[in-house]
Amino acid sequence: MNTISTPVPPLGSEGSNPRFFDGFTKVMLTIMIVMELAIFASASYMSHHKLTGTGTDDIVNNLATAKKVNGEHHPFVELPGDSELSAFSVANFFAGVIVGYNWLRLFGSKPQPGAKKDA
Amino acid sequence: MHIEDGILSAQACAGWYAATAAFVVPGIYEIKRRIHENLSYKPFLAMVGVAVFVISAMHLPVPVTGSCSHPCGTALAAILIGPFATAVISTIVLFFQAVFFGHGGITTIGANTFSMGICGGLSGWVFWKALRGVNCPVWLAAGVAGFVGDLMTYLVAAFELAWSLHGQVPLVKQWMIFFMGYGPTQLPLAVGEALFTSAVLLAMLNRRPDLLPQVLVRKHAPQVLLKKEA
Repeated sequence: MNTISTPVPPLGSEGSNPRFFDGFTKVMLTIMIVMELAIFASASYMSHHKLTGTGTDDIVNNLATAKKVNGEHHPFVELPGDSELSAFSVANFFAGVIVGYNWLRLFGSKPQPGAKKDA
Repeated sequence: MHIEDGILSAQACAGWYAATAAFVVPGIYEIKRRIHENLSYKPFLAMVGVAVFVISAMHLPVPVTGSCSHPCGTALAAILIGPFATAVISTIVLFFQAVFFGHGGITTIGANTFSMGICGGLSGWVFWKALRGVNCPVWLAAGVAGFVGDLMTYLVAAFELAWSLHGQVPLVKQWMIFFMGYGPTQLPLAVGEALFTSAVLLAMLNRRPDLLPQVLVRKHAPQVLLKKEA
């Protein structure tokens, strides 16, 4: 049976050296900034060319509804205005916490040479 | 591929629910079995499930088509936790997306899971296994799996719509009409998903190859471990 390795050492313990910009943070920030720049550049291009940026799911759902005689598609819950942004922010914040928590438990450190392997 | 309520007929929704159940039920048994075999499987499953939730809700703009779409993440999930378990987590993910975000619908969870969780995951997994079976490098096999899984999701979603709504129009023609609604935006995103799948899998294998013995071809797994420990 696999053992789950100990994650990064807790603050204050021997060997821990907390820094604002360690390697992991730098890599993640770089990826985030590159993705954000790509999104902003794409959105800016679309705005300049009067493109709506509608989701393809919505486009195809509308196309499909047009095929039906009395058809009307609707989401299970309609989130008006900024409430959709709130729902996304809350869900993605906690999703990030859960992914980070499990990532640290599983991949936070490389396996020790003497650690137990599969039984 | 988030088909909303009110588009598919009740019979079609029931049919897709039944087809999805044929994969989800064995998936639940697979998860129970693997949790007993491997302690790390449970946190792994949680992490992958949440990652699929975020990835498949992340709409990215594609300037050449002027629209937005999202990757799926199910090919990566199928490589990591298996295709049947991917069907289970996709069902949960799509339920929460429908309830929290209004993405997709409740009556269409079966259809949406079949396209994203089953066909997307399974096709990516098959390509991954086939390419690794002929000793293809991990980055290439994972990339192809991500690319195929992404596009297959949208091909199947378009088919689901066409099958229910083609009427007098030939099925294949209607299928391609719906797919052309997705395809041009999805193609660049599929390339992005290929890169993402490769990068994440390589990072995981670099950190803890011992946690992913099923990911590597078996004969190579011990060599990787010995190399890391040396």
